[in-house]
Amino acid sequence: MTAAPSADDMKRWLAAVAQDQDRAAFGRLFQFFAPRVAAFMQRAGLNASEAEDVAQETMVAVWRKAGMYDPAQANVSTWVFTIARNLRIDGARKSARAAAGVAVLSYETPDVENSAEEDTLASERDARVRRAMATLSPAQASVLKLSFFSEKPHAQIARELNIPLGTVKSRARLAMAKIRAILEQEP
Amino acid sequence: MNAPNHHPADETLGRFAAGAIEAGPRLVVATHLAGCPQCRARIRSFESAGGVLLDSMEPATLRADAFARTLAQVEAPAPATIVPAARDAAMPAPLRYYDLPKWRAVAPGVRWRRVVLPEAPDANVIMLKVGAGQRMPNHGHTGVEYTQVIAGGYTDAFGHYVAGDCIEMDEDVEHIPLADRDGDCVVLAALEGPLRLQGWIARLFQQFIGI
Ligand SMILES: [Zn+2]
Repeated sequence: MTAAPSADDMKRWLAAVAQDQDRAAFGRLFQFFAPRVAAFMQRAGLNASEAEDVAQETMVAVWRKAGMYDPAQANVSTWVFTIARNLRIDGARKSARAAAGVAVLSYETPDVENSAEEDTLASERDARVRRAMATLSPAQASVLKLSFFSEKPHAQIARELNIPLGTVKSRARLAMAKIRAILEQEP
Repeated sequence: MNAPNHHPADETLGRFAAGAIEAGPRLVVATHLAGCPQCRARIRSFESAGGVLLDSMEPATLRADAFARTLAQVEAPAPATIVPAARDAAMPAPLRYYDLPKWRAVAPGVRWRRVVLPEAPDANVIMLKVGAGQRMPNHGHTGVEYTQVIAGGYTDAFGHYVAGDCIEMDEDVEHIPLADRDGDCVVLAALEGPLRLQGWIARLFQQFIGI
């Protein structure tokens, strides 16, 4: 069992893929991310085969978009997460036209210019969020995971706990507002 | 445009960042984000959280040839990327890339059109244009209604909203929006969940879509 790669390792590998189409470096990225993207997608409700398809498509996109990765904007993990997320989005994989629809749903269309504030914060954000995640209470961590892994959390929870949907929604909103404040806290 | 005053709930932004939000609300929130640096920063925090969660997953077992198949795919030529063309440059991104049919009158001073999402043809997304000083008929709905103000402004019992604002209205809430007096009010609205509307909007959908 080798140690988990560091954020800098990943940036180096991705740069090697972008500059030299380095297959060994791509292999290292694949080895770390593909099984984790597949696991993530299974938690999010896809079956094993669909989850592996998304993992594979994610890695193909990592190869093709490697040159577009900007280390000042996000960690490699966050960048890979957003690629997998876009592929997960319902309908995105059904047709090119639909995929174009989802692509323009990105708020990072050329029409949108980042504010200076957004750019300055970008390099610090991943490290800050990583530290903050470790301070979440178990209940907060599960609320956060619920929104990542469950497509329709509210109605399900309301049924399971037999409490009104509105109550579930207002509790979820309060919890997520608190979590977001923690994620954005300066250390 | 000034910075918006009304934003989607953090919970909604979290689901957006996770990709776990229905297509209609996703378009409304994305249109809000294009004009709201504050919410874009919030989304990025949630995306960073997604990266941390991804790192912490217990790795799944892939098929033995998974890497070989991926390499074969990257060796194949990349499919052409579709660069979408703006269909209505007067609309904010990303709404401007969608097919926006002609406005149709539905009530005195009120026009509407349905926005069809290629990625989700069944999504309940409409735009409304309400004339200056006109009242929109009272309506209630089931499911959360997400509204982004595109132009002008309106007032209801809960507040005053202007271009750039995003409003989440819970189910079973009735409201009677009144457009500002200084111009048309244009909004983009999506409902979450199956369409079970009451009253005016239900009649509108029945009349024009045959639901
Ligand atoms: Zn906002």
